[in-house]
Amino acid sequence: MALISFLALSAYLVLIVGEVSFGQQAFFGIGAYSAAIATALYDLSLTTAVIIACILGCVVAWCLAKLTTALSGFYFSIATLAFAELFRFSMLQVRFSVEVDGQKTGPDGPEGFENIRWMFEQNMESSDFLFLVACVLFVTLTCLYLADKTPLFRSARVVGEDPILAKAQKISPDFARTTMIALSGGVAAIGGALFAHFSTYIEPGMFSIMLGVHGLAYAVIGGLAVPFGPLLGVAIDIGLLESVRYFSSYRMIVFGGLVAVILIVLPQGILNARLLRRLHFWGSRHEL
Amino acid sequence: MIVDVLQTLVDGLLIGMSYGLIALGFTLVFGVFKRINLAFGACLLLGAALAIWLQSMLNYGVFGLVFVTITGSALASIYVEKICFSPHIGPNAANASMIASFAIWMQLDEISTILLPQRTHAFAGIEFEGLEFAGLLFRIEHLTIALVAILCVLLVSWLNSKSRLSQHIKAVKEDPNLAEILGLPVSRINITVFALSGCIGGLGAFLILSADGHVTPLFGIWTLFKGLAAVMIGGLGSIPGAMIGGIVLGLSETYAAYSFGAEFRDIVTFSLLFAVMIIRPSGLFGSAALRTEQMAKARI
Repeated sequence: MALISFLALSAYLVLIVGEVSFGQQAFFGIGAYSAAIATALYDLSLTTAVIIACILGCVVAWCLAKLTTALSGFYFSIATLAFAELFRFSMLQVRFSVEVDGQKTGPDGPEGFENIRWMFEQNMESSDFLFLVACVLFVTLTCLYLADKTPLFRSARVVGEDPILAKAQKISPDFARTTMIALSGGVAAIGGALFAHFSTYIEPGMFSIMLGVHGLAYAVIGGLAVPFGPLLGVAIDIGLLESVRYFSSYRMIVFGGLVAVILIVLPQGILNARLLRRLHFWGSRHEL
Repeated sequence: MIVDVLQTLVDGLLIGMSYGLIALGFTLVFGVFKRINLAFGACLLLGAALAIWLQSMLNYGVFGLVFVTITGSALASIYVEKICFSPHIGPNAANASMIASFAIWMQLDEISTILLPQRTHAFAGIEFEGLEFAGLLFRIEHLTIALVAILCVLLVSWLNSKSRLSQHIKAVKEDPNLAEILGLPVSRINITVFALSGCIGGLGAFLILSADGHVTPLFGIWTLFKGLAAVMIGGLGSIPGAMIGGIVLGLSETYAAYSFGAEFRDIVTFSLLFAVMIIRPSGLFGSAALRTEQMAKARI
């Protein structure tokens, strides 16, 4: 579940510039495939693989953002959706499996990408790997917190609120938008790279629209005011999963309804700017 | 060889008509609200699932199946309107409704999966013998879909131009607040539009499913994607556009499947959708609204 936090964070980065992307799962998938190819076929280290995945995710997302410059609102959302599904169906056709150490590996269309054995080669327990994932997530989160104060993020937030106002303040909406989308692709790809090595098997069906919508929903219900918001969304879903474990088939019914209701009651998400201001005010009042 | 190509043409046209019928339900909601209902496919799936589920208990015939599918889809659409569309007003309403409708899609999809626990369920609709004409094979089910699709386009065009409802819809479209002040029952008009879109979609779903003979839980996402692609190609909000977009999609898909193999169907669908979004987002017959908006954006 820590892995899907990356997806939620990447959806959050796109939402900041006022766009809704249904296609972040494609970058997650690109990250997963590229990193898996790097370690399983070319024997590179995990760090290199994650960096390659991140760069590739950024580049592809940047291209997508450039292609869709003229689109906004649901036109952008539909374009990202089409892109993600196109990626998924194309991966079903990619067959590039080779034998490494007597075992079949590499992307093999619908049969999936088997034997991503980095974790076993390093004699790593899955709990150790999850600790590693948590560390990477923490670093990403810290970077996003620090980045929140930079001019880029500030201007991105202005663009998200009102592009005309942004233009009046000599902020280029296109630049902010493209950079944020590229960043979001990178973050999603890091998550995908780690996911591939954690599950040791990936197939195109894993990167379906359901995954992307979950990431988006976490960011939406968590709120956009701080990078911690999307993680709160993830936490709510896990909490929900635990509390309704006995009737897990109803989970989506509850979660779907919850998202719709939160959008009505708290359109800015749970951790919104107003709540944060209040908390801040409350904190300063109770100082000694 | 010629026969094959012609047969592909006929198949593509007829499949395209069924896409067009689904797309019509989509475009209806967009035409009025300028927002997109992503739970549309799930509403149709829920209607069909409900029909099969009730049939196993009540054991009604084909007419019961038609009735429950259409009513179920319409009721689900009204629910979507109530929870995703009417609460959201203001500048961010379009995005909020879109995300909310996707969330409700998950919900309705899950309910349908509970109603249909197996992978496939038989859908006993109307069945006919195939019809052969000049060496080409026509399926009566597909011809029925095409006929119904044309009738629905005519009906919606008429509703859109001549009826009293169309005047009300135009008023609500122009300014919902003003329409409310003038005493129009805005929420009832909204519900009518959604119910109508659900009815058309439900009818389409019934006809498509009875031509297929079975329903799977993936039907919801299938209708959503095909309907969306058809609507975007034809141009959002345009009634003839929906039908023509459907036909373009159907023809490209069947020719791709004929030339490269069946796996390429979906690749073609999404390539086409992606290409349209990038090259001409307003589609073939799209409203001028988007273009004006883009020009306005370019000016600032």
